Amino acid sequence: MARIALIIGALAAVLYPIPLQIQGTTYYQTVGFLVFVNAMLGLGWNVIGGWAGQFDFGPQVFFAVGAYTAALLYVKLGVDAWLGLPIAAAVAALICAVLTYPLTRLRGHYFAISTVAIWMIAQPIGATWEYIGAAQGLFIPVKPRSNVVSAALSLQFAGPTKALGYYYAALALFALTLGLMAWVERSKLGFYFRAIRDDQEAAEGIGIDSRLYKVIARSITAAVFGAAGVLYAFWALSVFPEQVLELNWSTLPIMATVVGGIGRLWGPVLGAVILIPISQIMSTTLGTGPLAGRGIDLIVYGLIIVVIAAFRPTGLLSLPWARWFGRRRSALA
Amino acid sequence: MTELAQAVVNGLQMGFLYALVAVGLTIIWGLMEMINFAHGEFLMLGMFGAWWLHAGYRLDPLLSIVPIALVMYAFGVLVYRQLMRRVQGGDPFTQIFATIGLLFLLQNAVVAGFTSDYRFVNDTFLQKLGGARLTVSGVTFAVPLLLAAGLALVLFLALYLLIERTEFGLALQATSEDRDAARLVGIRPQRMFAMAWGLGAALVAIAGAILVNFFSVYPQVGLQFTVLAYAIVALGGFGSILGTLLAALLVGVIQSVTVVYLPPAFKDAFVFASYLLIGLLRPQGLFGRF
Amino acid sequence: MRRISVRLMILTALIAAALAAARTAPAQQKVTEVLIGSVLPLTGNFASLGQQYLWSAKTAEDIVNNDYADLQIPLGPGKGFPGLGGAPIRFIVRDDQSRGEQARTIAEQLISVDKVHWFNGEGTSGITSLLQPVLESAGIPMTCHACASPTLTEKGLKWFFRTGPNDKTMVASVFTFLKEWPEKGGPKDLKTIALFTCDNLFCQDNRKVATDLAPKAGFKIVLDLTTKTGATTLASEVQRLQSANPDVLFNVQYPAETVVFENDAKRAGWMPKVMATSNGAYSDQTWLEAQKKTNGAAGWLGRDPTAIDLAQERPAWKKVNEIYRKYSNGQNMGELAMREITGLLWMADVINRARSVEPAALQKAANETSMGADKLIIDYKGIKFENGQNVLATGVVTQVGWDGEKHTLWPWDLAAKANFKPIFPSPSWQERESKPKPAS
Repeated sequence: MARIALIIGALAAVLYPIPLQIQGTTYYQTVGFLVFVNAMLGLGWNVIGGWAGQFDFGPQVFFAVGAYTAALLYVKLGVDAWLGLPIAAAVAALICAVLTYPLTRLRGHYFAISTVAIWMIAQPIGATWEYIGAAQGLFIPVKPRSNVVSAALSLQFAGPTKALGYYYAALALFALTLGLMAWVERSKLGFYFRAIRDDQEAAEGIGIDSRLYKVIARSITAAVFGAAGVLYAFWALSVFPEQVLELNWSTLPIMATVVGGIGRLWGPVLGAVILIPISQIMSTTLGTGPLAGRGIDLIVYGLIIVVIAAFRPTGLLSLPWARWFGRRRSALA
Repeated sequence: MTELAQAVVNGLQMGFLYALVAVGLTIIWGLMEMINFAHGEFLMLGMFGAWWLHAGYRLDPLLSIVPIALVMYAFGVLVYRQLMRRVQGGDPFTQIFATIGLLFLLQNAVVAGFTSDYRFVNDTFLQKLGGARLTVSGVTFAVPLLLAAGLALVLFLALYLLIERTEFGLALQATSEDRDAARLVGIRPQRMFAMAWGLGAALVAIAGAILVNFFSVYPQVGLQFTVLAYAIVALGGFGSILGTLLAALLVGVIQSVTVVYLPPAFKDAFVFASYLLIGLLRPQGLFGRF
Repeated sequence: MRRISVRLMILTALIAAALAAARTAPAQQKVTEVLIGSVLPLTGNFASLGQQYLWSAKTAEDIVNNDYADLQIPLGPGKGFPGLGGAPIRFIVRDDQSRGEQARTIAEQLISVDKVHWFNGEGTSGITSLLQPVLESAGIPMTCHACASPTLTEKGLKWFFRTGPNDKTMVASVFTFLKEWPEKGGPKDLKTIALFTCDNLFCQDNRKVATDLAPKAGFKIVLDLTTKTGATTLASEVQRLQSANPDVLFNVQYPAETVVFENDAKRAGWMPKVMATSNGAYSDQTWLEAQKKTNGAAGWLGRDPTAIDLAQERPAWKKVNEIYRKYSNGQNMGELAMREITGLLWMADVINRARSVEPAALQKAANETSMGADKLIIDYKGIKFENGQNVLATGVVTQVGWDGEKHTLWPWDLAAKANFKPIFPSPSWQERESKPKPAS
């Protein structure tokens, strides 16, 4: 049953933008883009937060590192996105590893504050470092590409199919991330992460180096965030500290993961698919016209979150979907 | 040398204000280990309450401390009973998620009700003392801040006695250490948590009523103070009231002294860098129990 | 089974063709309303700015759609657009929560779903620069009248217009004033300057221009401090300023940080001889009103797009302010609102002259603009564009007096009309406390 759901989901994701393209309502494609970017970030965060169980509120720093690295490579050296992305992800992972290893001495909430600390230190660096543009940041000029493949590889889409291109690019990166995370979940790494989360002392007792695996988990998260940062940079066509170091880049994926079901592979995906369209709809219906400027849409959004948290703390994936959609026959048997 | 001494004094004065903001968090997060993303919004509500009472009824913020504390205590209990209690059983991240929702709700409810304009309070008791200064061997102490610091000390002392010397405080500590064991000796954990939330909310709202004498009031005012509050509680060590006070003073001094010699944009960065350094040497903070 | 699927395929093909046809059908129908898409920061960090833009949009909508027969500004008299058969204007305003990716997404919604004819926003230079590529590629006119960053009109874009001055012009007017002041009876011994700016895009843009212009105006920069936006204390920064002892302080901070600075400066008992600012708190109505209770702003000078004390000479200003107050909970038009409303009315004029909502026609009419100063509620010399920037957008230099209101100091011809004796040096804190306050 899950297999059928997966196929239907994949088909829907691939076909979704086509009628929109015909109609010209490319906005909905961009919403889809945001869903996939946040789902990807959620999948990444799930590694350190859901599986390894560590409080991490700082991965937006690596989102920024990825965005800046790729932007710098492109602007200063002309390196296109297809090459810039893996380099940026690797740089993000490396910086994360170096920074996180000493931090793993701290446990629980202390560790959480240390992740915030890295973020607080990154902000003035981003705002004052002239080489990366300081407060003005970097602009990414668009070079029109001759064919679709070239545009896709350089993440530079132009013209009426711009939003469509970014949608599929986000979908592709998301799918890749999903596949990788599925592999990690089933691998030894995933086992070690969950062991550390469930009982760190016991895990160490059976020989798992908890510090090392926390670093590995966080570095995977950093790589995913860095990759997403590259995608964002080429979509937004500019990278500046106020935007890429925003706390929202981690709180939104965290919220999506919790809504969907923390620690479960599809949790972030379900969460992103639900939360982002809801916030867009809220904004369109309640944040405009005579109600504009009163933040009513955010009040309702906050209320929805609070209600979901209060009545389904384990996430929406834990709802009895199988019972609702599947084997009705078994009830009669 | 006087420059350095002045910077230290400035830092200490700010430190007491920070301590006021942090102490509410010490109870909810430090003691009861519940992450509250909406802490800044409780502060903001306290500030708005004080502004509103002053603008509408000419009530001096120092006097409005009492009604504000009472109202926010009830509000804290309400938040616990209706929301936090339900998410307590699950993943800690759900608590975070719930309080993020609370943040959106509270901040934007205030935007809807009051707009995002900056509000100011004028001619309060502390402000009338405005430029009054004490100068001791070349170093200036601002009287209003000294008084605020004095208030903070009194509050801290009262809280310390409450937590360490009363049955209620001991019951709170017991609940935070081991909920089941506490239940066995007749403590009702739910009640303890509700009161902790009430107390935490009331304390930070009191901080708001005092801060309103020195800062402008607007819906987004919470974040800049609470980010420091988190660092302070962690630096002081979870569960330690004394630790929070000392950490707050330390943070104030670090902020103040570093900026005299280094780029001011890195003000908070230095605080957090210090946290990392100290944290690596003492992972449980200065006086942390756990 | 196969028959059903063939029918299904034909049906699908017909539907797809119909959708495609519907989209490509030329929109030659009569224009029933003119849609202006607007993305504003109505919540989040920049909400206090966003709400002023919202009120400005409502004011402009009101002026265009209703008949104000004796209001001699574009589209004042008459209902709707005469050039479009009386079609009304409608603003579709959406909130981006002060977030870039949100703004970007909503812009696409306004373009591809609501199919707006013109885009106005976002109000802050940073996010506006994120939106520019989207609008440029969509080929729809875009404006941000109050966005001050010079770079917005230095990218060679064809669809972006700005009626307001940019930071280069605005900061330049302050330094031109300071340079010319000695010859016009001002102090002759101002030699040193300190820069005091917050760390975000807006403040840093100003700082860059000041770093360039200050030496050219004959000042030595003795201290250049970039402060943290959202700082809870500026005591040490004030301490450093005090040691550097500049004659002039060039201060670019938002209202909240300005209040922190004022309190810390008061405690330190420090005031430079000249307090010069650019935008930030100086443009914020609520800050200005609050200063009336403490004389906190007395002596502060800064650039303003308009000589607000002489605005009474423009009857149109008073009438527009009345309309604005309907939407702003009684707040007067601040200079941000003035820039914005001026720009929105210009936009209405463009649409009217173009007699069409076709992008090409709008672009042409915009570029052909040659509006005289008499049609404006603001002190520009007129509206005329070069590369999307209104080159006649100047500004004045004003100073806050003991009455808590701004008075014109420069240009000298307007200053003569304003007849205000500049306050120099900037009053000490004791003087501010002791002198009577305009409000209480």
